[in-house]
Amino acid sequence: MSGDLRIDGVSHGESIEFTFEGQPVKGHKGETVAMALWAHGCQALRNSSRDGAPRAVLCNMGICYECLVRIDGAVVRACMTEIEPGMIVERGGKS
Amino acid sequence: MTRDAVIEADVGVVGAGPGGMAAALRIASSGLSVVVLDEGARPGGQIFRQLPEGFAHASPPTEPPSHGAGHELLHALTGSKVSVESHATVWDARAPRGDDLGCLWFEQGVASRALRCKAIVLAPGAMDRCVPFPGWTLPGVITAGAAQVMVRGYGIKPGSRAVVAGSGPLLLPTVTALVSAGVKVVAALESAPRRAALRALPGVLRSGARLREAFFYARQLWRSGVSLQFSRAVFAVEGDGRVQRAVIGQLDREGNPIASTAKTVDADVVCTGFGLVPSIEIGQRLGCRATWNEARGGWHIEALDFGATNVDRVFAVGEIAGIGGSEVAIAEGRAAGELVCAQLQQRGALTHVRDRSRAVRAAADAMLRAFSVPRGVYSLVKDGTIVCRCEDVNAKAVRDASALHGDSLRAIKMGCRAGMGPCQGRICAPSVQAIASRGSTRAWDEPVVQIPLKPVRTSTILDAPKV
Amino acid sequence: MTESADVVVVGGGILGCSVALHVARALPKARILVLDRGPIAGATSGRCMGHLMVTPDTKEEYAFSQTSVRMWAGLQEEIGGFDYNPTGALYLADAPEDLELLPVLQKQFSDCGDTAAILDQKQLREIEPGLAHDLPGALFYQGDGVVLPMTACSAMLRLGQRHNARLETRPGTEVTGFDGIGSRMTAVRTKHGTITTGNVVIACGVWSPAVAKLAGIAALPIVPRAGNLAITAHHSTPIQTQLLEVSYIRFAHGAAKVDPWKTDEDQGGHAVNMQPQSAGGCLIGSTRQFRGFDTTLNRELLHRSLLRAQRYAPGLLGLPIVRTWVGLRPYSVDKHPFVGPWPQTDGLWICSGHEGLGISLSMISGQLIAAQMTGTPCAVDPTSWLPRRIL
Repeated sequence: MSGDLRIDGVSHGESIEFTFEGQPVKGHKGETVAMALWAHGCQALRNSSRDGAPRAVLCNMGICYECLVRIDGAVVRACMTEIEPGMIVERGGKS
Repeated sequence: MTRDAVIEADVGVVGAGPGGMAAALRIASSGLSVVVLDEGARPGGQIFRQLPEGFAHASPPTEPPSHGAGHELLHALTGSKVSVESHATVWDARAPRGDDLGCLWFEQGVASRALRCKAIVLAPGAMDRCVPFPGWTLPGVITAGAAQVMVRGYGIKPGSRAVVAGSGPLLLPTVTALVSAGVKVVAALESAPRRAALRALPGVLRSGARLREAFFYARQLWRSGVSLQFSRAVFAVEGDGRVQRAVIGQLDREGNPIASTAKTVDADVVCTGFGLVPSIEIGQRLGCRATWNEARGGWHIEALDFGATNVDRVFAVGEIAGIGGSEVAIAEGRAAGELVCAQLQQRGALTHVRDRSRAVRAAADAMLRAFSVPRGVYSLVKDGTIVCRCEDVNAKAVRDASALHGDSLRAIKMGCRAGMGPCQGRICAPSVQAIASRGSTRAWDEPVVQIPLKPVRTSTILDAPKV
Repeated sequence: MTESADVVVVGGGILGCSVALHVARALPKARILVLDRGPIAGATSGRCMGHLMVTPDTKEEYAFSQTSVRMWAGLQEEIGGFDYNPTGALYLADAPEDLELLPVLQKQFSDCGDTAAILDQKQLREIEPGLAHDLPGALFYQGDGVVLPMTACSAMLRLGQRHNARLETRPGTEVTGFDGIGSRMTAVRTKHGTITTGNVVIACGVWSPAVAKLAGIAALPIVPRAGNLAITAHHSTPIQTQLLEVSYIRFAHGAAKVDPWKTDEDQGGHAVNMQPQSAGGCLIGSTRQFRGFDTTLNRELLHRSLLRAQRYAPGLLGLPIVRTWVGLRPYSVDKHPFVGPWPQTDGLWICSGHEGLGISLSMISGQLIAAQMTGTPCAVDPTSWLPRRIL
């Protein structure tokens, strides 16, 4: 995962590492799963349930459920779930 | 830290945006206990988004004048006795009745909790209205609200080259947020014609705050070199697995795309929003009457003076009572707070707060009437364009279902699954109805509300406190 | 406004749609109208599960249900589009004492000339890794399947329209009365006008008695039996097979003695039924209550359903529930549906009262109506289901 979309003029908090689809990802405490991944250019969070196409954050405020991911056996909104050290996040839907 | 599964307060407020904060502060100031349930990580709502703890701006960000009120509310909240429960998703609600307390059931992380209270103030806000276009399911197409959350809420750029498109007063803050974050805005497209902006002018002129806001955005736009183009829209988005290009062009007087004007621009993010839709489900669940008013975003809870609803001791303020913006929400929150206190303390309510909320609401109505969604923009939706993103239902399926099953929202849902997914139809309902009604301007069906009001874990329902 | 039709089907649920399909096949030139007070598939057929269930309680019921389920496979081949999934069904034992029910049910299948396999704990886990590890065993029956009933209604109608371009739906059309000459049906009156017709099929589920009354049938013995349902979000099913508690058979079909005129919530029992959906969600049912036409969701019952469901599939706990609702099964007091002509009125037909098996039995029921209407062979013996038995 390359690039970083974090804004230069903002200092981001304490660094945290978690994994997405088995890959380590660096984020900052207080970021949601969706934002930590977005900052690295990783947008697709689930595959659509019927055609399998990649889907990503649409509303970023907990309404659209386009960012459903799997964390510890639960299915949750990536945009409303804050990252935690060592968290294991998997893409939602069929691959 | 273990928290009580059941908490009690004199008043429960849903939403910690401007309306909820204003109501809660007013109520707390008269000595009543108040708990605010908010789905966000921090109070402020969508409009007064704050960065997470531990994040900081190197230099103070340029903000519109209206955000001053937000800072004041947030500051006051910190020093108040208002208790805010963040990360709280309310999934069921019961109104107070006679001597029985009302109840708000909420999920908070993995905890299932409930708030019991004598009165309920609803300030759940609104969501962006989406109009589908070919390619809008590609990663990188986000709502205008989502873009603002990224920039102002997390200090993250939505992309490096953005197209902003849609309709209504929220396009401007989106453009300025992007520009301030260092994102190149390659096009800012308002689908309404220029005359809509002129029609909005009287509403702007009636409110000093709105006028200051308008000046701020005009200045920001001028500085950034981005100009808002009227009668224009994104016709389609293209890319391999993500947004790479946007096809943009001009709309005719009815809002239909003029194919000959289409041109392709490189972009990696498209921010779209056609005004806001009030979030009314919790009001409906409590038995509040909903009413249709297109200028206020369609279905909204019918609020009387002081935010009172037809349900005793249930109040509705801000966007749930019809889209109006933060100034309206604050005024109505204060008014509702005043009446709640008056009722619980058995005294008369002060009328000046009511008069203020009436005045700002009237000004907002005047302005927002100018920005109704041009019906023609729905002709951007092609047969194969997905309308219901949860269930992957395209526009042809919606039209076919409407012909066979009936043209109500429920009929279409039964005929093609549109609206059956986890967003519970919030995203697609306005477009499904617009597509099925083929440009008719009749009031759409009132959305049906079921519990959970938003999806929650099975364990939340199972562990729900019995109260 | 007056118009005419050869056949008017009152009720646009799964039974009405199947009748329309089969009549359209049999009479490709006839004008067929499907009326519904609300949307097509807007009532019970839009609020139910989609289990295609073969019931081996008696040989007759087996033939009826098994033929119908086979016809569903044919509908899938012909048109599809309704999330057909032949998952089979697992009848789960909860505790060791339930194990004795498995051979009972297995014998019922074998008595009908069919087979079902008893699985031990280990075999069960291999088939369904998402099930609780302590489940002692199950019976697997391969012949069952799953469909999405609402879009199955669309598929039936579209296929009917392929056979007969004059098949039309009229959602939002409430029937207000019927006209007849002597004992002959001549017209249907609706809120929007009169439709002259020689054939009317009442397929209104729990509303059939009210509509039948308008047609002169004093008391069609069908009562609503409410069931509450919940569904998880897509990407969120803990299971891949249609699941039932084996104790379900104690309540749903055979042994339970219930008095439909009482409204005791516990009467008729409560057993879990879980169904994987094509889009990756999971439907969870289901309760059985007699409480009139009330469709208010009872949170206590929802709680019990979910509690039972997570006992079998613990992974459910972390999955989001998207929606809950109540559907009304048309419960026939003698536990047999009404499928056939009403002997006292020429041209009046009834296709209703299938309780929780309406989806399963819709294909065969539509076929029986069309066959009897056109004098062609019935796919199974229709005698037991004829409405004349209540006279």
